[in-house]
Amino acid sequence: MRPALSTRRASAAEPATAPDRAASGQRVLRLGRAVALPVHPRSLLVAAVLLVLLAAAAAATLSLGRLGVPLTRLPTVVAGGGEATETFVLDRLRGPRLAVAAGTGAALGLAGALFQSVTRNPLGSPDVIGLGAGAGAGAAIAALVLPGIVPVPLGALGGAALAMVIVATATGTGLRHPGRLIIAGIGVAAMAHAVSEFVVSVMARDQASVLHSYLYGSLGARSWEHAAVIWGVLVLAVPLVLLIAGAVAVNEMGDELADALGGRARSTRTAAISLSVVLTAAAVSVAGPIAFVALTAPQIARRTTGAPGPNLAVAAVVGALLLVLADLAVQQSPIGNGLPVGLFTLGFGGVYLGYLLIREWRRGKL
Amino acid sequence: MTVKTIATPPRTRPARTLAVIGAGAAALAGAVLLSLVLGSKPTTPLEVWRVLTGDADGFTATVVESRYPRTVLGIVAGAALALSGTLMQGVTRNPLADPGLLGVNAGAAAAVVTATAVLGPTSVTATVWWALPGAVLAGLTAHAVGSRGGDGGMVRLVLAGAVVSAVLTAYVQALGLTFPDVFDSYRHWVVGSLAGRDFDVVVSVLPVVAAGTALGLAVSGGLNALALGEEAAVATGANTAWVRSGGLLAATVLAAGATAAAGPIAFVGLAVPHVVRALVGVDFRAQVPFALLAGPTLLLVADVVARTIVRPTELMVGVVTAFVGAPVLLYAVRRMRETT
Repeated sequence: MRPALSTRRASAAEPATAPDRAASGQRVLRLGRAVALPVHPRSLLVAAVLLVLLAAAAAATLSLGRLGVPLTRLPTVVAGGGEATETFVLDRLRGPRLAVAAGTGAALGLAGALFQSVTRNPLGSPDVIGLGAGAGAGAAIAALVLPGIVPVPLGALGGAALAMVIVATATGTGLRHPGRLIIAGIGVAAMAHAVSEFVVSVMARDQASVLHSYLYGSLGARSWEHAAVIWGVLVLAVPLVLLIAGAVAVNEMGDELADALGGRARSTRTAAISLSVVLTAAAVSVAGPIAFVALTAPQIARRTTGAPGPNLAVAAVVGALLLVLADLAVQQSPIGNGLPVGLFTLGFGGVYLGYLLIREWRRGKL
Repeated sequence: MTVKTIATPPRTRPARTLAVIGAGAAALAGAVLLSLVLGSKPTTPLEVWRVLTGDADGFTATVVESRYPRTVLGIVAGAALALSGTLMQGVTRNPLADPGLLGVNAGAAAAVVTATAVLGPTSVTATVWWALPGAVLAGLTAHAVGSRGGDGGMVRLVLAGAVVSAVLTAYVQALGLTFPDVFDSYRHWVVGSLAGRDFDVVVSVLPVVAAGTALGLAVSGGLNALALGEEAAVATGANTAWVRSGGLLAATVLAAGATAAAGPIAFVGLAVPHVVRALVGVDFRAQVPFALLAGPTLLLVADVVARTIVRPTELMVGVVTAFVGAPVLLYAVRRMRETT
């Protein structure tokens, strides 16, 4: 509830000194009278630290293991001066996989932050309410039943949108009631899983690896085309997200207050959910329905920055970091053992979801 | 005497109940026939009759006889799951309760898979004894998480069960992929399937399911009193502690037995009680026998669909029940009161 009010108060009280301090440890960066950009120093610090961690995780992903390119050789190989094997590892194996992991994680983090913010509910996240599973079923149909006719991302988008509509209809109360939302999501996810299993067992004759990438999500054998899809969607979606970011933050105060402050609650919610569905579909179409990154990333972002509002940018960075780390664990740790990364996030994210549920119940919010 | 009149629901329609139960029995007989007739190699009812009476050619006899074990298993597992769901919904007074949704099936699966990974492929009989503690543990965990921080509402138990299921599913799948050769025979079991089971499987779970069914029947009358609410139930003289713990124990044992035999099949325990309530009303003394007929019917029909829809391969029956059962969950959510 703070950002809009505090900026306003700050601008009313102290006209032209920059940067000035507002209520919540937030500073406002001013350029004359035209630009007043709210800045939260702790968020910036957190984002910087997270980006350093992400870079470290990326370096580890490229250099660890039997085929890894040693850290000292990385700059040379990236510049194009490596040996054939090193170039192969970087260009064909680890490079695209890393790019897909980071892009998918960022998209999921962003989608989760938008969704949780407009439903005002940490559990109203696309993977909990069955959007990811729906997109997975759509992707499976597009890739296996209609190959070459319907592009996979479009199939994923259709699946996610359909899941969204079914969930919203089945609750009977739209997206307002968190408990109903999640139970309807469980039902929709179960049906979507059944569709995926049906499609895979008809078209791919029970190939376990294919099935797992559509049911749980996997980053195995990704190419630069996958990376291009997810980063392309991110490049298109991020400006739109920035456009509505302010209104989304205001929207957290409740519909009446948001409307009174010019937040246009309904249209903001529609726009945020549409963007969230698109981002989820893009992520699923390149990596499968990877569970619980969209749930956890925005929560971690909120806790580490301590800033009000949806923390969109930090959530995206956290998402990327989480997925790169999970994929690193899958590739290099003894318990990972080449499993689909989605199983890893499902197990650990499930534990986190349990913690979150208990906390929400203690506060009597659910 | 007064106690009994209060505990009995006001409108009992014995004639109608008997007719519905008769129809249920007929439907089950039809499902059994379908299960014997249809498959990768379709046969006719006449041929099945010849096999049953012993004058058919060897080939047809082999085809039809190969369908005996899965049909019997479908009856046993379907009855167990349906009764388990009915008892759970009765005890918790929660129309969303289902052994699959509460993580009980996933717990049984996780325990079985762990035992197989540690001890190597075990006998089917041993599987059952691993499934039981796993089911109980998962059910208790879901219950413990779901009842933290105040009284357990309808939604909380389901959410807690979803969490337990998610974590255990990830664990089961991860183990299955890590030890592919050990789990070759478990690959279909992990999703829930009636295919490729011998009579050994049925025989080994039968005592467990029979014990659970007996316990379930014993408490079913008391569930009527429980449905009135805690205070009213105590006022009628019902032993609520016995009904509640006996009902939950029976539900868990039944779910564990069914899971040990056929894998974690979701939504049968959820869907059947809703259908049963719609047909025979709220009296648990009618619900329980009808559930014992409706569960096997649903599971057998789902199995027939599973084995014919993608001929010549087969779908796992758990996939079909999810598709049939999930809409029931959506329907139940829609009917929840605004306050919950």
